Amino acid sequence: MGLVCRVVEESGIATVCLSTGRDLTVQVRPPRSAFVNFPMGNAFGKPFDVEMQTQILRHCLAIAVNCDTPGEIIDLPYNWHGPFEFNPGNSNM
Amino acid sequence: MLNWQQSPIRYVDGLASYYGAMGHPPYAWTINQDAPLHRLGRPLRECRVTLLTSGGISQCAMPAWDPMARNDHRLDAIPADVSTADFQIHDAYYDHKDAERDINCQFPIDRLRELLDTGEIGSLAARFWSGFMGRIYDRSKVIGESAPAFVEQLRNDEVDLLIAVPA
Repeated sequence: MGLVCRVVEESGIATVCLSTGRDLTVQVRPPRSAFVNFPMGNAFGKPFDVEMQTQILRHCLAIAVNCDTPGEIIDLPYNWHGPFEFNPGNSNM
Repeated sequence: MLNWQQSPIRYVDGLASYYGAMGHPPYAWTINQDAPLHRLGRPLRECRVTLLTSGGISQCAMPAWDPMARNDHRLDAIPADVSTADFQIHDAYYDHKDAERDINCQFPIDRLRELLDTGEIGSLAARFWSGFMGRIYDRSKVIGESAPAFVEQLRNDEVDLLIAVPA
């Protein structure tokens, strides 16, 4: 996805990537990113939490406007409400 | 980095052990030291915005994504007036129970529509996008074919800003 953002950006269209995988984003370096330390699948927060979803979307838009440093990753100041893990390969999903 | 309650998950390590257990060679990650940057050419309130998800999200009448997809260059265009209820999610690499209840926690189409109503963005593109699902090994095809084809679609829709949400 970061790779796609780089190609889109090179074509003259601005991008913001909202990442939940900070180490992945550091490697690929999309043009501009926000990192939110939430579970993958909850990048904009909890279901039906309109206020949080809107706040995070506004962060993305602000980064699109304000970011001057190529490859910058802005860490968003939120914590998830409990511990979470990464369990790839769950075929029930 | 901020002082989080929980350290960010180390996905690179997690995927390396997962792929290794399946007998796959280690994924050779792209590591970039720099990045391109194109400034928005106009104020946000005049910009046309769209969304891209890579989270195995499709409209109900479309085929389901392969939850274990590898090297899948499929890209779905989703009309911007899509109903919030008209989605299915198939991806074995993340927990999408919440997103199935409210697509906006991963693909915030309603929130973006609201920011159009408040005038914070200028317009919505005619189409949202779902594609570039994870585990694409043939990155040269992304760079040379599928991402440039996507760029053409964004140009057709006169998009100023793409918000990409990987999963």
